[in-house]
Amino acid sequence: MGELLCTENVCCHFGGVMATDNVCFRVNQNGLTSIIGPNGAGKTTFINIVTGKINASAGKIIFKEKDITNKSPHELVKMGICRTFQINSLFQNLSVFENLRIARQAMHGGSLRLFSSKQSLKAVTQDTWAMLEKLGLKEMAARPAKNLAYGDQRVLEVAIAMAGDPKILFLDEPTAGMSPAETLHISKMIKELAKDICVVLVEHDMDMVMSISDRITVLQNGGIISEGTPEEIRNNQQVREAYLGKEE
Amino acid sequence: MNSTTSIPGISKRFYPLKIFAVILILCSLALFPFISDNRFYISLITEMMIYGLLAMSLDVLLGYTGLLSFMHNTYMGICAYAVGLFLIHISPTSLWLACFAGVVFTSLVALPVGWVQVRTGGLAFALLTLAFGMMFYTIVWKWYAVTGGDDGLMGMPNPDITLFGWHLGSSSDPVNIYLFTLTVVTICFFLTRRIINSPFGAVLEAIRENEDRASFVGINVRRYKLLGWMLACILASIAGALFILYKGYIGPSTMSAFAGAGVLMMVLLGGMGSLWGAFAGAFIFIYIQDYISTMTEHWEIFLGLFVIFLVLFLPTGFAGLGDYFKRFRKA
Repeated sequence: MGELLCTENVCCHFGGVMATDNVCFRVNQNGLTSIIGPNGAGKTTFINIVTGKINASAGKIIFKEKDITNKSPHELVKMGICRTFQINSLFQNLSVFENLRIARQAMHGGSLRLFSSKQSLKAVTQDTWAMLEKLGLKEMAARPAKNLAYGDQRVLEVAIAMAGDPKILFLDEPTAGMSPAETLHISKMIKELAKDICVVLVEHDMDMVMSISDRITVLQNGGIISEGTPEEIRNNQQVREAYLGKEE
Repeated sequence: MNSTTSIPGISKRFYPLKIFAVILILCSLALFPFISDNRFYISLITEMMIYGLLAMSLDVLLGYTGLLSFMHNTYMGICAYAVGLFLIHISPTSLWLACFAGVVFTSLVALPVGWVQVRTGGLAFALLTLAFGMMFYTIVWKWYAVTGGDDGLMGMPNPDITLFGWHLGSSSDPVNIYLFTLTVVTICFFLTRRIINSPFGAVLEAIRENEDRASFVGINVRRYKLLGWMLACILASIAGALFILYKGYIGPSTMSAFAGAGVLMMVLLGGMGSLWGAFAGAFIFIYIQDYISTMTEHWEIFLGLFVIFLVLFLPTGFAGLGDYFKRFRKA
């Protein structure tokens, strides 16, 4: 299988700071790739560039052999590039059901129907129920998103991104602030997802990264310093130095 | 904010009491001019309904799309002038054609303005509405040859109200205008309600809740903001057409920032994100304005105080009163 997404020498600078420096990153049709790196390495910036939140200063992003550099987020989502956010970004006052339903509707179409009811989009409603059932959020369907427990909000955050039928899903620290039990639940969910689609995970929890990733990319100061399987990364001298500092 | 979304299979939204109340209100409004021949109240209620429609149109923008417009009355004013000028200069008898031309003209003005507006958000959006509003206000105020400047547009003819050749009476009679306004406003209300509960309305609400996330589920935020803006401006322009038919006159003060703030207060009084709340807000606002102005000419001061109290003690507006009592009873 060919590669799904690749970036060619992508750069982004904020003023004089090189937040992303000549990153060449590639992923395949499915599997789980993790991006790790110390704080300020440019992991989130890189995701922001690929998903269209910020523009690249230079370089090219190719998705399914099409140039998608600096396209707007909604176009990218329609192509199958979805993401979650490090800090929950939900439709706070809307019900859990509606949070997912609107994401499904945006994907499915029919948003320009002015005079029919929301329920008239039957496929959207059915898909939404199916997703809620699968993720164990069914009981909470009617509650406003803001009233959910943090862990459930985190699951919803991932669910909204999944509702867009992504070909590639970027997860920005999905387990941040979660209990070990919740982390386990999410990591199972991610592993399951990665069987069918390409998942790119940014994560600080090393145990989780090492146990579920197929490949790992390490960023430091905006650039890639190493790539490989978890085993290779674990034994890589440069990575150890990046995290722990040089041995004297 | 309206946080309850109906979910198929969980909450059924059918309240017989609500439907009964709506029918009761509509019937009493429809019968009012036949029971009372107090011309003053007939006029007052006409004005309330027109401003209710304007407040509702602003609520589509503010309560449902999350965009603050300081001078939404601008688009009511533009349409009122357009309808008036059409009737004076082009055809003094074609009421429907004039209204149609007015709404189309207002849309043509609102479209490029909206195109610029939706490129901003939050505070910048609000300030831009103020800038555009001031600009249109000044044009109307200074362009004496066309608009009559601060004298306003005078010499409005009174076209007959007809429907498919069926003659309903002259627009010079307040009762006819009252009934005409009631009909148009009722239709607009139910149409808007339908739109708000449609998939399109759901997109607007998603934008209100989280613009950023909305774009990351695949919604073209600018496009839908522009559509929401146009919907609000078209509704405001319908209010404008009704306004000039009712008043027979339009002056620049209707388009001033002061009047714009009044419309905003109506929405806040009624409660954002509730369509009937906007009407309630307009009714309360105009009634108080009228009541206090019979006692003192400095009515603005007292109205301001009243609004401050309401905002402090009833921040969810009049529409939030129901929830308030529900909680009170439970406690």
